[in-house]
Amino acid sequence: MATAVANSSDLDDFEAVVRLYWLKIFRFALASLRDRHSAESLAQDCFFKAYKARHGFRGDASVGTWLMQIAVNLVRDHARDRRLQFWKRARLTAVDLNTAGGWLPDGGASPEVAALASEQVAAVWAATESLSERQRTVFLLRFVEDMDLLEIAAATGLKEGTVKAHLFRALQAVRERVRKAK
Amino acid sequence: MIQHLSAEQISQWMVGDRTPQLERHVAECGECRSELEQLESTLVQFRGALGEWSGSAAPPAWRQPVSRSLWLSWPRLILAAVALLVLVALPVSWRARVRERAAETERADSQLLERVDSAISRAVPEPMEPLVNLVAWNSSPAQKNRKVERQ
Repeated sequence: MATAVANSSDLDDFEAVVRLYWLKIFRFALASLRDRHSAESLAQDCFFKAYKARHGFRGDASVGTWLMQIAVNLVRDHARDRRLQFWKRARLTAVDLNTAGGWLPDGGASPEVAALASEQVAAVWAATESLSERQRTVFLLRFVEDMDLLEIAAATGLKEGTVKAHLFRALQAVRERVRKAK
Repeated sequence: MIQHLSAEQISQWMVGDRTPQLERHVAECGECRSELEQLESTLVQFRGALGEWSGSAAPPAWRQPVSRSLWLSWPRLILAAVALLVLVALPVSWRARVRERAAETERADSQLLERVDSAISRAVPEPMEPLVNLVAWNSSPAQKNRKVERQ
């Protein structure tokens, strides 16, 4: 979780806010939409909306959680936009599932171990696609953005118990997929 | 025989619901501990992979959106001028139309009055006018003279 800036006056230097949180928002958008172009566009929208609403920021949550809340809403709107459903099939900048394992950082592991890890990462990537929008969001916020349950609840507007239930189901699906990939 | 963690218990552990029994089992059972460590490791690698993939994305240069105080831009000024013209022109044309209508009514009224005047000033009704002319012709001075000559 990025450093909390729970004061609206700290949003005055908005360029610094963009620099600090861009990667986090972009990464979440990318993992949710699976398309680089759409993710960039969503991240830009997110910061633009945040800029317009910056005077209404009361500091109840950290800036990171507040920005993530905007991003989660944008991802939800994007998923519901039926006009985009048609183009999703033909997107040019979409992430290729077959190369998902190829992103693995080079940790100096043996080729066999690296290949297995690569397959498992690809399996997680494939599993997240089959999750419901809420399960995927909760899963990504927990295991990619490293947010705790309360922060996820604040960002998604769900109760902590509901977050836990979505996370539980998402984990069941992911683990099942990873187990099959072994 | 050792009862290993079920799929549900593994997910429960990962979510953070770690009961004392679960903790005790994980501490004692190497197989389950290995299973959990492997899953955690896979998720960490997934995170790393996504981080590396998106890591090259530099934030775009942030430009402060144009302030709303500049709302008096050229298109807005033109629109305002057109609206003002319409507001001024509408009452003027409306008044001219009212005046024109009043003049037309006045003209029609005076024509009607003229027709009424001429109808009233006639000695006999219009259909009987030829008879009046006939009587007048019979009683003209020339005819009287002719009658006297015959006598």
